[in-house]
Amino acid sequence: MSNSLMIVDDSATMRKIIMRTIRMSGLEMDSTEEAGNGKEALEKLSSSPVDIILCDINMPEMNGMELVKKVRELSNCNDTKIIMVSTESSQELIDELMAGGANGYITKPFTPEKFQDKLSPFMN
Amino acid sequence: METKQFNDVLLESAKEVFETMIFMELAKADEPFDPKDDDSLLGTITFTGDMDGCLAIGCTVDCAKNVAANMLGMDPDEQVSSADVNDAMGEVANMVMGSVKSRIQEQYTNIQVSIPSVVSGRKLENSLGEKARRTALAINIEGDFTAELSILYRMHETATQAGLANKEVSVNAADPSTN
Repeated sequence: MSNSLMIVDDSATMRKIIMRTIRMSGLEMDSTEEAGNGKEALEKLSSSPVDIILCDINMPEMNGMELVKKVRELSNCNDTKIIMVSTESSQELIDELMAGGANGYITKPFTPEKFQDKLSPFMN
Repeated sequence: METKQFNDVLLESAKEVFETMIFMELAKADEPFDPKDDDSLLGTITFTGDMDGCLAIGCTVDCAKNVAANMLGMDPDEQVSSADVNDAMGEVANMVMGSVKSRIQEQYTNIQVSIPSVVSGRKLENSLGEKARRTALAINIEGDFTAELSILYRMHETATQAGLANKEVSVNAADPSTN
């Protein structure tokens, strides 16, 4: 069984930090895609679905909330797990995202342990 | 928030971000941040809601390059591009704001945060117009660099009507370093 990942964040720095944190957590991914916003992510997912998406919320073009809804409409992403990664931490927003189809939530700043805790239940 | 000074919240938030995500030590500085005539960067992020305002981190370009290199896990002798430096400083502002927000959200329940931006130049200052308050904190990064964290803010009318302004005043009354 393999694990494929997509990191969606408009900050290239944050995408690299997330990659580094995943490596530090000991989680092993077989492939990793990156996207700078929801629209770019959706285009890539349409042809190449992944197992896990780590997704920022505040992004230009298409934000994380819209992306979650769009991914849930893609038939090839039925099993894809979406974990939101954001500085936003209000329970109201988290509840709204979870109701919209997200599977988990990680707040920034984060630690390798937090990634281990949130991602390992969804790893193949 | 009633018992904590705004500066303490800023310092705790920045320490959490720098120590958890950037792997650099951060402490309150004894001397104010003074870039003199050096080029500096100002990473900012605005917010609206119970309070309107802007959180900023200002530092020299040299400091920002070191922060960016650490964030990206680069070797000390590797060259950091200006795009990476700007992106990193925006993310620092974003994460510190997120950390501040999580610490004050019981009192200020309605705060929406924007996408960060970064400007570079000399003697950079931001402003927020009338009735704005500013609290600033000089910080020391890794014992090598002095930088400044600041929040410019003013209470939204609806928050004032809800009585939040009184709490805000009590915070500032207890904060002798507020400008």
